[in-house]
Amino acid sequence: MHDPQQAPAPNAARAATWRRYLRFWGPRAEADVDDELGFHVEMRAREYMARGMGDVEARAAALRRLGNLAAARSECVAITSRRERRMTRAQLVDAFVHDVAYAWRTLGRQKGWTFVAIITLALGIGANTAVFSVVNTLLLRPLPYPDADRIAIVYLEPTQGNTTGVQMLVNPNTPTVRAWRDGSRAFESMEPYIRDDRSMRETDGTISVVHTASILRTFPEFAGVRPLLGRVFTDAEAARAERLVVIGEPFWRARFGADPQILGKPMTIDQHPYTIIGVMPAALRLPRLGGDATDVWLPLNLREDAMGLSVIGRLRPGVPIVDATRELDRVAASSTLPGAPTPDFRVKLTPPSQMVRFRASLVMLSAAVALVLLIACGNVAHLVLARTATRQRELAIRAALGASRARIVRQLLTESLILSVAGCIGGLLVGWAGLQVLVSMRPASLPELIAARMDGLTLLLTAGLSIGTGLAVGALGAFSAGRHSAHDALKSGALSASQSRRQRRLRSLVVTSEMAVSMVLLVGAILLVRSMLHLQRIEPGFKAAGLYAIEIPLHTASYPTPAARGAFVAQVHERVAAIQGIEAVTVSAGAPPSRSFMIGGLQVEGEPNPPAGTTSFIDYNGVDPNYFQTMRIRLVEGSTLARYEDDSTQVVVNAGLAKKYWPGKSALGRRLRVVYNGKGDWKTIVGVVGDAFTGGLTSEAADPMLYMVNRELFQPVLIARVKAGFDPVPTIRAIVSQLDPMLAPVTVSNLDDAMKRSIAGPRFTMILLVSFTLLALVLAAVGLYGVMAYSVAQRTREIGIRIALGATRRDVARSVMWQGTALALLGAGIGLFGARWGSRLLEHMLYGVARSDAASFALGAAVLVGTAALACIVPMRRAVAVDPLVAIRAD
Amino acid sequence: MPDATTDFLKGTLDLMVLKTLSWAPAHGYGIARWIEQCTDDVLQVEEGSLYPALHKLEERGFIVAEWGVTEHNRRAKFYRLTTAGKKHLAASRDYWARFAGAVFKVLETAPAPR
Repeated sequence: MHDPQQAPAPNAARAATWRRYLRFWGPRAEADVDDELGFHVEMRAREYMARGMGDVEARAAALRRLGNLAAARSECVAITSRRERRMTRAQLVDAFVHDVAYAWRTLGRQKGWTFVAIITLALGIGANTAVFSVVNTLLLRPLPYPDADRIAIVYLEPTQGNTTGVQMLVNPNTPTVRAWRDGSRAFESMEPYIRDDRSMRETDGTISVVHTASILRTFPEFAGVRPLLGRVFTDAEAARAERLVVIGEPFWRARFGADPQILGKPMTIDQHPYTIIGVMPAALRLPRLGGDATDVWLPLNLREDAMGLSVIGRLRPGVPIVDATRELDRVAASSTLPGAPTPDFRVKLTPPSQMVRFRASLVMLSAAVALVLLIACGNVAHLVLARTATRQRELAIRAALGASRARIVRQLLTESLILSVAGCIGGLLVGWAGLQVLVSMRPASLPELIAARMDGLTLLLTAGLSIGTGLAVGALGAFSAGRHSAHDALKSGALSASQSRRQRRLRSLVVTSEMAVSMVLLVGAILLVRSMLHLQRIEPGFKAAGLYAIEIPLHTASYPTPAARGAFVAQVHERVAAIQGIEAVTVSAGAPPSRSFMIGGLQVEGEPNPPAGTTSFIDYNGVDPNYFQTMRIRLVEGSTLARYEDDSTQVVVNAGLAKKYWPGKSALGRRLRVVYNGKGDWKTIVGVVGDAFTGGLTSEAADPMLYMVNRELFQPVLIARVKAGFDPVPTIRAIVSQLDPMLAPVTVSNLDDAMKRSIAGPRFTMILLVSFTLLALVLAAVGLYGVMAYSVAQRTREIGIRIALGATRRDVARSVMWQGTALALLGAGIGLFGARWGSRLLEHMLYGVARSDAASFALGAAVLVGTAALACIVPMRRAVAVDPLVAIRAD
Repeated sequence: MPDATTDFLKGTLDLMVLKTLSWAPAHGYGIARWIEQCTDDVLQVEEGSLYPALHKLEERGFIVAEWGVTEHNRRAKFYRLTTAGKKHLAASRDYWARFAGAVFKVLETAPAPR
């Protein structure tokens, strides 16, 4: 029976189809409920009509009978939507669990493949984790203070005359700091401090060194730290210079066994009695990285003029550093206090991260490990591509059985994600191990490296890198899988010709990129190695072997004047010279690898006066006449300094200075002076000595250098030349402690070692970059090997045919080798540009080699192509061994 | 007493729906008609609460719904009792019988002598 009322209108049918289509994309609760209720009303209306009601009447009655339609509808919609949402979620979880289980089984079936992929990822990610741990500790959070982003270190820098290209920063003096603290509104707080090593008498009477810091009462608050025990000194106590100390927690534990009754106990520093009034937690640190923890915190008296104060401040929120700089300059200029800075200096505010010495190296190494990760990703991409290709049939069967494309893509992504989770765990292990190696290898010049830690941020980065890598690689695999039709894959055993061509192009692209990236790293590593070789070959201009520097920690309390210091040093000098094993002893203002300097402008006779206020650092050393013989610095012309007199007008210069001002002529008898504030005595050049790297091997030996007789040395150093095989350290220590038993042990250092240490930093950077480069090169070679091996396997039949048609084995070998090295050559070519650009990061790290050094670039390309050729040998052998009969019959 | 009927129905609607579906799957209108016919139109299902009740039962897993075609070739949503629904019906039926019996007893008993 056909009821015309029941016949669906064509419109309704179309709507239903459309709705079904919509339902495919998700639940349509509203439409369903409307359908259901509409049906009900219609049926009820039909019932009423059967009882004799009219059309319109029946409909109205049916609606009335339903009651509050809107409320019922919305309630139904709400319930249904809620249920469907829950179902969707359940389905997703179920599908995910299934995907993971399936991926786990598939990965487990190919253990070798999975292992290689995970190891590759772990190495790439681990290298990044290790380097980022260092970056995170040193660059991102260099100082352990609250609101670290508003902290600035306050220095002065000369406004004129600094032509050295090296930044010169000096500490402000007390009046300036006072003026700033009173007059600055840009700074929320400003904390001056002085670091000093002092001597402390132990209970058994022995003397030891304590690291002290003089601070204001507000410093702990600035650093966000409260005393562990007791209190900090008050401003009044500091102003009265009361002898009160707050000790550091490590010191309290080590020296006082964490005595809880420590408050009020005495302590002897520099022979003065102090009273302990508090203990500060280990978290209170001076704004310097690494180095020794502060043992003792002393009150800083800002009323007393000090030579120079280290200053750190916290800007008010939102104040730009430029404005703050301008304000401090203005405050200092308007200050009428005696000793306020002259216009020769301006304020230089520096964020702490800029002060990290290893900064440039860290930036460069971060870039390097990022490149290593790129190569690792490339390799995993190869593996995934090769696997997708061999799994084509499996995927096609799944598709034929009804798995949607989205489902298959999700399956592949799940596999990559499992890989990346494993890679992440491996990366953390590798990173942790790498960090331990890195820290244990740290050069003496970088004690702050010991603070490097893996923390939450590092874990986050590692996880992010892993997941990102997994997704990227998985997407590539899914992309390549998705492009093949199921039909084709089921039909043929392997890929069709066009598919394999596309695959090959993609893989060649990846391997070429890997080669290009390796090239960039190779050139960088070669440049650093050449620079290191240069540094090691340097003739320092003096004979460091057999030289010892003796630094005596004379404290100002017992030796207040330079004369007193000089007299004590002279006594030590005399006794040391008398030791059997000592060849010669001399006094100097400093010992390599550090230099002293004079401040002012250098003026040679005949030149106009340097502009007023010229302030540059001029390398200088105050020496004894026998300095040059002891150091074995060559005399080029003239004579060394005569016996010292306080008003000596003699000066000896280095060959670099003589060459700079009087090229091709003798410098003897010429006069020069160092002008500061318009003053400076003329000195006559009596001798020219060879350029010496007394500032360390990374310094410039030919930079102008002055040697003058100077008896008024602030902290004189003895330099002794020792006969071969003699260890002077115990004897010298004994002599000094005999002369003054109150002194802390003297430092006796071997200058040969010290000079070697002066290039430890560059060597460290070089070793790291070389390691990363080797890792990159191995990974890239593995990648190329994989591509070539796969390509040969794919082309077995073609090779067989060629051989059958008369190609010689040599032709086959050449073809394979050419294919591989061509990729490497192309990569090297692209990498050249990258290296040319990337070598900027090596600026200031290269010695004796230009960063555009052609030989390094050529060598890099040669190493790359050579490595590529090595990687091709095994695939080439396989190709040559193809038996045409077997190959053609196969498949 | 329409008010009493309504209140009475609200508590028992679920039970009656489940019972109706225990014979055969049905759509909402069919369920409403069935209840009316069974009770000789004494109990008129309040249709405004029938559909939310159905959806709630579906959410609780006692019934499942699927779209089907009526004998008049009309698309409608049919509800079917699940195993859980059968169990729930049995349990509720027992409870209801005891409850109804108890109420009936109270109503029929004469006041106890003091």
